[in-house]
Amino acid sequence: MSGVVLDDLTKRYDGGALAVNKLNLDIKDGEFVCLVGPSGCGKTTALRMIAGLEDITSGEVRIGDRVVNNLPPRDRDIAMVFQSYALYPHMSVRDNMAFGLQLRKTPKADIDKAVVDAARILDLERFLDRKPGQLSGGQRQRVALGRAIVRDPAVFLMDEPLSNLDAKLRVQTRAEIARMHTRLEATMIYVTHDQVEAMTMGDRIAVINEGVLQQAGSPKELYELPQNRFVAGFIGSPSMNFVEVKVDVSGGTVKLSEEGVELIPDDVQSALLRDSGLEKVIVGFRPEHLIAGVPPGPGLRITAAIDVIEFLGNDQLIHGITEGHDIVAIVNADTELSVGESVVLSTEPRRLHLFNPTTGERIAKAA
Amino acid sequence: MSAVRAASLPATSTPRKRRVRLRPSRIVVNVVLAAIAIFWLVPAIGLAIISLRPESAFDQSGWWTVLTAPAQLTFSNYQALFAQGFKPGGVLDSLTTSLAITIPVTILVTVISSLSAYSLVFGRWRGRTLVFLLIVAMLVLPLQMALIPVASLYSAIGSATGFKLFGSVIGTIIFHVAFGLPFGIFLMRNFYTGIPHDLLEAGRIDGAGEWTLFRRVVLPLGLPAAASLAIFQFIWVWNDLLVSLIFLTGNTHQTLTLFLYGQTRFLASNYWIIATGGMISIVIPLIVFFAFQRFFVRGVLAGAVK
Repeated sequence: MSGVVLDDLTKRYDGGALAVNKLNLDIKDGEFVCLVGPSGCGKTTALRMIAGLEDITSGEVRIGDRVVNNLPPRDRDIAMVFQSYALYPHMSVRDNMAFGLQLRKTPKADIDKAVVDAARILDLERFLDRKPGQLSGGQRQRVALGRAIVRDPAVFLMDEPLSNLDAKLRVQTRAEIARMHTRLEATMIYVTHDQVEAMTMGDRIAVINEGVLQQAGSPKELYELPQNRFVAGFIGSPSMNFVEVKVDVSGGTVKLSEEGVELIPDDVQSALLRDSGLEKVIVGFRPEHLIAGVPPGPGLRITAAIDVIEFLGNDQLIHGITEGHDIVAIVNADTELSVGESVVLSTEPRRLHLFNPTTGERIAKAA
Repeated sequence: MSAVRAASLPATSTPRKRRVRLRPSRIVVNVVLAAIAIFWLVPAIGLAIISLRPESAFDQSGWWTVLTAPAQLTFSNYQALFAQGFKPGGVLDSLTTSLAITIPVTILVTVISSLSAYSLVFGRWRGRTLVFLLIVAMLVLPLQMALIPVASLYSAIGSATGFKLFGSVIGTIIFHVAFGLPFGIFLMRNFYTGIPHDLLEAGRIDGAGEWTLFRRVVLPLGLPAAASLAIFQFIWVWNDLLVSLIFLTGNTHQTLTLFLYGQTRFLASNYWIIATGGMISIVIPLIVFFAFQRFFVRGVLAGAVK
């Protein structure tokens, strides 16, 4: 087992397109890190560079204490699970799992033991002599995991391994991978475009957009302290609401306003806004933090006309319209609301995120 | 990808097919197909029966009289032909010569095409597409265009080095291989493009080098295409007359086609030899076909990805 360090990792394709731009990430031994971002953001390219399937334009990949830039995949001590599973269709499940060990000249008895152990963990014992074509999607997926496990690699690389499974199976397999991580105490790098997957599985999440690392941190950090507007909008479902408001500094108080939106920041936020000298800011707030009704004291207050109501069981999802903005809120299903009605939504100052409208960066105390 | 899709289709549609087969339109189709098959088989059956009737019977009655008098059937024609043994010019010697040319050509074309196609599809060198287009361009070159240039090249090599290619079995093999490769590479390359690259990447991570990937992953998956190519190639070379007519000039050993061609010059009296020799030349490709057709495994790629 060993950690992985990405040092200014960059990939530029022949056409000049920059897929990954100076990616820096220090993944500790035994850590489960999710690379997450919209499709085409470079997360898969980064993973493939770690695997050795893609040439590195510049920068360094270190696995353990070795620089592996110029090592072929087989010498990097990694195993990879592909989105498409990539099982060898002409080999039985047993041979699929044994193939890597056979090529490494592992003694036959050890191979058999490793395969049977992995099959037991993944509940595949009955299928060992079947071909991949005779298995369901979920079973194939488990064979792909088994092929990685038997190798006992330093690092597991997973490229959207759940995206071809149906919703129920995805939740099951998610738990299975999490258990596998706990049991094997292995370093895992997991690529996904699904932020829910990343939030539930990762010890740490690296959000990537357009080849650039936006923020890396624990799921809680990303949720509570997104460093820019992209991360704020990407993490969380439904995504954060954003409203651009005018900053009005008069005397000692700071007021933020926009038609239909009233905002009284707390002291810390007021100080930040005064210091920033901005005339406008973007304020972000999560749908799940809005409540229908007026809270006492400072905070955000929005008056919106209800456009759509989606019933979710315990909660209801409200799409409200206020001057030029669509606001989404999740409120308790017991609250009596109807379409067309005007509703006041509010939240406390600590639930508000302030972003610079030009850079998109979080407005925070200078470090 | 299309090759993969096509190959995986039958596996998924089997249950539906079974139900459809009971429809009356299906029965009509099958009856018509059977009628066409029988119609096409008549000449071959006639040839088979002629080869099994005594030499003298040919002038007296038609082969269909066998249907009422099966007692006239005999292996005497075969015995007479085989009695000549392996002496040059005989049918057994021609059979051996045909095999000595066809088998190496088939193996060489299949193996070289598979290797070239692997490099063209999975290699990482520049200009792969250009090379492939050049090979495709060679497909349109008619073989007869090269007969004279290659024959004179062979003679030149022969007089320069003393290594006789013109009029030799090896020279004929080289010519056949050279003209079999463009199509072989074309066929194999198109099949290999349907093999998902993920499979090779998985193999590389599993620890396979290029040779192992070719032998353990690509070759087994390409078996249906390789088997088709081998069958085609075998039958083309087996049936070839033109190339062996030119390049075996002066050789005492002839191919079966040359043997039959020689017999047609005495057509009137030699029907029994042509019929019997013809049957012998049909049997070998049939054996090859049935031996290889089990490799037309359908749906081998089903379950590779997704």
